Amino acid sequence: MRSSGRYRPIKIGDIAIIIFFLSSLFFLPKVPGEKVEIRVDNSKEFIYPLSKDRTLDIKGAIGTTRIVIKDGRVKVTKAPCPLKLCKKVGWISKKGEQIICIPNKVYIRIEGEEYDGVTE
Amino acid sequence: MMELQSKIAYISVFTAASISIFVVESYIPQPIPGIRLGLANIFILLTIIYFGFKEGFLVGILKSFMGSLLLGRLLSPSFLFSISGTIMSVIIMWLAIKFGKHISLLGISIIGAEIHTITQILLATILFFPEASFIYLLPIYVLSALVAGSITGTISYLLFTKLERKIEIA
Repeated sequence: MRSSGRYRPIKIGDIAIIIFFLSSLFFLPKVPGEKVEIRVDNSKEFIYPLSKDRTLDIKGAIGTTRIVIKDGRVKVTKAPCPLKLCKKVGWISKKGEQIICIPNKVYIRIEGEEYDGVTE
Repeated sequence: MMELQSKIAYISVFTAASISIFVVESYIPQPIPGIRLGLANIFILLTIIYFGFKEGFLVGILKSFMGSLLLGRLLSPSFLFSISGTIMSVIIMWLAIKFGKHISLLGISIIGAEIHTITQILLATILFFPEASFIYLLPIYVLSALVAGSITGTISYLLFTKLERKIEIA
């Protein structure tokens, strides 16, 4: 009988398999973004499509943040804040990615098309 | 070595069980198409463990074929998905049983569930929606297969320990 040796409910290999599949989640392709949502001071909200290149100057709490949309990606090129963290983020293009500038109260987020899988 | 008659009897019972579970399970509404527990896999897995690859393959094919026949979707896309997923997962589970000395039923079941889902997604992408968004759904399917595989793996382990003695006596 082939079954001998399988009496233990969990073995080292099982844990390896679980870890393998869990970690593979991080390497799977992300959903590409469709549009960019820019929110200022949690009140004003702008939505632009990623398909068209443009440069935006957004007035925030302490100054002007320059946002560049190019080739379906978004980046902050000029920021009035002291740490410039929003500039350091670089290009974002995938659904759910975001750039947040806390001093200037600017919030940028990529929105994607919803794939609900109801295609059957 | 088990007698031929009792072997045939066990394989028949396993086949019947997996077909009926497959049919009943398909009536449970699915939040996203293709996300389900896959409880029928328990009996395919037990068949491979007790009797070997050929028998497991047979049970898998019969499950997909008879199940789809009963549900009235024989030769439809969903039958194609079902049978290809089953064949791939049977092959992979058999390999895991044969070569994976440090893998128990839990891991084998997870591998089977993952391969089953991934095969179906790839097939759906290649055959029906080439330009497609299906590949972006992979994370959801991989995660759900992990959960489903763990559940069926645990049930298979419990059944296995219960059945072991009986099958050996028979």
